[in-house]
Amino acid sequence: MRAATMIKKIGVWIVVLAVWEGAYRTGVLSPMLFSAPSLVLKAAWTDGPAFVAALETTAFEIVVAIVLAWSVGVAFGTAAGAIPILARISTPLLAAMIAVPFIIVYPVLTAWFGIGPESKIVFGTLLGVFPIALNTMIGVQAIEPGYVIMARSMGASKLQAMSQVMVPLALPSVITGLRLGTSLIVIGVILTEMLASTSGLGFLITYHRAMFDTGHVVLGILLGLSTSYVANALLSWIEQRYGRWRSLQQDMA
Amino acid sequence: MNQAVRTDILTVRGVSKIFGADRGSVAALSDVNFSVRRQQFVTIVGPSGCGKSTLMQILGGLASASCGEVLLNGEKIAAPRPDHIAAVFQEPWLLPWKSAQENVEFPLSLKGVAVAERRARAAAQLELVGLAHAATRLPHELSGGMRQRVAIARALVQEPDLLLMDEPFAALDEQTRTKMGNELLRIWEHSRRTIVFITHGLTEAIYLADVILVMAARPGRIVERIEVPLPRPRSIDMIGSEVFGQLRNRIWQLIGDSP
Repeated sequence: MRAATMIKKIGVWIVVLAVWEGAYRTGVLSPMLFSAPSLVLKAAWTDGPAFVAALETTAFEIVVAIVLAWSVGVAFGTAAGAIPILARISTPLLAAMIAVPFIIVYPVLTAWFGIGPESKIVFGTLLGVFPIALNTMIGVQAIEPGYVIMARSMGASKLQAMSQVMVPLALPSVITGLRLGTSLIVIGVILTEMLASTSGLGFLITYHRAMFDTGHVVLGILLGLSTSYVANALLSWIEQRYGRWRSLQQDMA
Repeated sequence: MNQAVRTDILTVRGVSKIFGADRGSVAALSDVNFSVRRQQFVTIVGPSGCGKSTLMQILGGLASASCGEVLLNGEKIAAPRPDHIAAVFQEPWLLPWKSAQENVEFPLSLKGVAVAERRARAAAQLELVGLAHAATRLPHELSGGMRQRVAIARALVQEPDLLLMDEPFAALDEQTRTKMGNELLRIWEHSRRTIVFITHGLTEAIYLADVILVMAARPGRIVERIEVPLPRPRSIDMIGSEVFGQLRNRIWQLIGDSP
């Protein structure tokens, strides 16, 4: 059954790629606008190492931004959810920060951090951290206080109560924040690579677009998509691993 | 009884709790005094709103008294004392992603007890509450009564001198509640811990207790201390006895009389 679906999926892809290639060969689609599978393969063949290096740069920036935004966002969101005064101060602030179009301050970031990976990491983190913090805070605020009182009565420290009781209980909301934040990080990193940089997938895509190397552009796009695919798979794994009890609970109800 | 058994483990002196600012302030508790001897089973009974749960929070170090003090073995309680006091609440508050066994291990893992030791200790307590067969089940796979028994095992695993129970069976149906009462007495006789048990059920309060503290509301205070003359072990047919009926009437009047 599983093998059959696999074959079907692959079949569909072969057909799509064949039609695309056929349209290019017969001149129905202009390669300048739509590229073609063979052009993408040719780009990979001729400039493979450059794209691998670019992927490494982009992946590195994304991973560092994810580590920063996830840890700061979840930690701050949990604290804000647990401490009412902090929540009162940060709720309007977080909402405002999410609404800020940070791209307008990117030129300033390049002035501070240069046009290398640092400015991309900072920008990606800035974009991702606020929705993570806000969603974590909302999730923690929704926890029934009895759980926390229970943990306190057992002598749990603040840190233990947060990490072992609050964050797991708030997980669905935390994951929503992480999904939102992570997709913004991927967007932020690739977008800023397109604006001002000398390396990374975003840089290669804009560079080759200017040269009308559409095969190279599509290759860059595919590699960019692969990074968000990996990030998404990681999130689904976390959800499965730590949130399984919730779906079991719903099955019972 | 020897001398050690007769000593007071818990002393409550002049405890009051006032909520709110000067003008709209409400006295939840007013000058509460009592003491509990080691290995005693004390029930606190009173109408809703008499400050029972506030008192429990103060006894557990989870809330502070506006004035007065609570002494455990002569030491003042100002914060939770997990080595000496364990609590069971109206809801079991089991962590839903942990199995029964892991939930019972939880307080030990917070203290950093080694894995092998906490497994063994948790398993022993699950056995005591009759849930050894359900150790690997998640909370939502257990009935309400079973969940509360896991919560009791989780309290006992901390080996507390004092076990505080705040209406632990209130959310259960009548039949399960009676069964759990008997179960608790069996566990208590086995482990010989001191128990302070808060309830609004008169029958439950009498059936379980050595000593009943009767509370009245507005302000919350203790109006009477009653020693229960019923022999142990208790059995269900005692509930129909004359002594039991008289006790129930007396408590009913005490609660009813208060304004």
